[in-house]
Amino acid sequence: MLFNSLGFIAFLAIVLFFYYTNFLSWKSKKGMLLLASYIFYGLWNPFLVILLWISTFVDWTAGNKLVYEENEVKRKFWLILSLVVNLGFLAFFKYGNFLLENFVLAVNSAGMAYEPQPMDIILPMGISFYTFQTMSYTIDLYNRRVDPAKTFLDFALYVTFFPQLVAGPIVRSKDLVTQFYEEKKANVEQFIWGTFLLTLGLFLKMVMADTLLAGSSDAVFNSGLIPHSLDAWAGTLAFSGQIFFDFAGYSTCAIGIALMLGIILPDNFRYPYAAIGFSDFWRRWHISLSTWLRDYLYIPLGGNRFGITRLYAALIITMLLGGLWHGAAWTFVFWGALHGIYLILERVLKQRIHFKINAFTGIFLALGTYFLINITWVFFRANDFSVAWNMLSSMFFLNNEENIILSSFAVLKVFLVIGLTFICHWLLRNSSVRSIAEKSSSWALGLVWGAMIFLIAISQTSGEQFIYFQF
Amino acid sequence: MKLKLAFIVAIFVSLISITFWELYWRNQEKIPDFDDDKGLWAEQRKKVEKAGSSSTVLIGSSRVLFDIQLDVWEEKTGQLPIMLASPGSTPLPVLRDIVDNTSFNGTLIVGVTPGIFFSTTYPEAPPWKRAQTKVDHFKKRTYAQKLNHLLSLPFQENFVFVSGSEEKWSDDIDLGSLLSRISIGDRFKSLEPPFYNFSYSRIDRNTRMSERTVNDTTFANTIKKVWFFFGSQSPPPDKVSTIAFFNDYAAKFQRRGGKIILLRCPSSGALKQGENAMLPRQHFWDSLVVSSGLRSYHFEDYETLKNFECPEWSHLSGPDADKFTANLIEILQKDKILANLKK
Repeated sequence: MLFNSLGFIAFLAIVLFFYYTNFLSWKSKKGMLLLASYIFYGLWNPFLVILLWISTFVDWTAGNKLVYEENEVKRKFWLILSLVVNLGFLAFFKYGNFLLENFVLAVNSAGMAYEPQPMDIILPMGISFYTFQTMSYTIDLYNRRVDPAKTFLDFALYVTFFPQLVAGPIVRSKDLVTQFYEEKKANVEQFIWGTFLLTLGLFLKMVMADTLLAGSSDAVFNSGLIPHSLDAWAGTLAFSGQIFFDFAGYSTCAIGIALMLGIILPDNFRYPYAAIGFSDFWRRWHISLSTWLRDYLYIPLGGNRFGITRLYAALIITMLLGGLWHGAAWTFVFWGALHGIYLILERVLKQRIHFKINAFTGIFLALGTYFLINITWVFFRANDFSVAWNMLSSMFFLNNEENIILSSFAVLKVFLVIGLTFICHWLLRNSSVRSIAEKSSSWALGLVWGAMIFLIAISQTSGEQFIYFQF
Repeated sequence: MKLKLAFIVAIFVSLISITFWELYWRNQEKIPDFDDDKGLWAEQRKKVEKAGSSSTVLIGSSRVLFDIQLDVWEEKTGQLPIMLASPGSTPLPVLRDIVDNTSFNGTLIVGVTPGIFFSTTYPEAPPWKRAQTKVDHFKKRTYAQKLNHLLSLPFQENFVFVSGSEEKWSDDIDLGSLLSRISIGDRFKSLEPPFYNFSYSRIDRNTRMSERTVNDTTFANTIKKVWFFFGSQSPPPDKVSTIAFFNDYAAKFQRRGGKIILLRCPSSGALKQGENAMLPRQHFWDSLVVSSGLRSYHFEDYETLKNFECPEWSHLSGPDADKFTANLIEILQKDKILANLKK
């Protein structure tokens, strides 16, 4: 089910009605939230709810064993079981076709003729998100970093909580399960603020991403032509905005909906296009994934504890796998590799060049960072390397062929929206939506809020999926 | 409390602005109607699953959609047919779907618009893909999509501002369409002329030409320009493979007891001349009729069907479509192809 659909509005209204009735106990309300979460997921494909059940059951069982078992070998067995089941699902459903394709390619290049039947595997929505979330639980229990969930119901709700089930934020058990122990109710202020965040998220998705930017990005990347330099830049910049507004929109909706229930989810974005450098970017972009990769991949790989070579290797491996997490294609791996290289180069430069960051150098570095991030978005968005190469060669004036794809207004619109986005990110880089709202008058906030509702109403996008659902 | 006031202001501002928006577009002569999208098509397709041997299903392109009026059909036959015809689409993928995926063995009326019917069997070609997309949507639509479609219907029926269309008409009034019509400079100009919505659709997909198309010649001319454009862009027809594909599935349908009828609806003006020149009747329609051995009805062969004038050369006005439907049913009943269940 999509947040930007009438079905979801009806669904949320029913959930809120039962959540705020007096005739249900807290336990019953949690049961209702769990059932609602399965319905939320099952309305897309009911059979794939079984995967959620298996993941929940295996990790609950493994988690309990990890708590009470003293024998280290047995504890390792339960951890490995949990990882194998979760990563096994991910490998089969998300990477099955990719692995097969590459196996066939390797076999064929070795001179052996092999053409298997296509597997036609359905990618379960949000599998990467809930798999990572539930894996963090067993890994943390293995490392004795968290307490186990008190009841199966609390744990099942942690795995399945519908606001963040299919596209995050990826929440750690200590941050979410513990909130289920005592009855939660949003106060009036929280409820209204949650409604505002839901509106803001829908505005970012439906107006900014789908209405203002997606068309230009799709037109250029799907044209099959070598674009004119201006079109190539407009298409890439449009995608950089589209993916931000799409994903930040989803996260904002998720945080808002949870808040309407009195549950607090962590921020997932902090004005990432104002980042000064790439480590700063990853502290601002998809924060719940970057911290997950840091805690469960980069640090276990050695992090910065074993010298410079190991550190670089850990960075590259983390970012390569981070790229692969996004999609089963080599373009995503390359995207991850580029980010890994950027992070390494940044470390090298930081060690050798020392200067104070002020407003002038800061904005210069932020622009530079944004420029280089756009290069990576080309690989993220392109369907294959030939499209990426055509885009990049046009962006750097290396093509003689010039195909004009976008109208003057479309180009102007993209540059205007992206320019304003960058300025907003820069000006707000050390603040939050909440702090800005608190500084504004009620009338100004109400006017902006009303304008967003109006623009959502007249956008009439036909329920486009959020980009990150496929990951 | 600060947020409470902001919330009240937001509700007030949004309600006022949406109301003004609605009134403005109604003042511009827009009226609420249903978007004839894949969701609406799928609801009709679902009815084929339970349709009996006395039921009629209509497939084809927009001529059948416009020219057969379902109310008249129901009045004359006692039964509402299922409308699966689809604009700009070949009926072949829909025929295959009905034959392969249902046990329907009633009457299937296949509209033949020569430029589309004989165009292609290539899955990526627009006439095929448009139809196949609808078939695929019916097969793959999720419960969430069904629910959203169901909930959207009362809004579509009652509000003009709920007007986002799958077809992306040039006069759509959603924000994206309004922005796309802003033109500055001439950096890129689409060769495709603007294509305005010239019909209204009902929930049962009954489609009727708008009054404006009938009464405003300038507006009708914009639609004619679109037919010219499509005509000039069309690749050569693929008569052999389209007829072979059709005959194969028509034979399968007949073997299980189904009745299948070919129908050529009227066209007029330069479009008809173009059709006669590019897809002459004896080489295309007659070949199809002879090779399939099916009952067929060409508008030119019947006094009561041949004297209609299409305002934009390709489809009948609402009142003419009523007459055409009534006259066609009379002929079909005389030929004992259709019964009047009311009798």
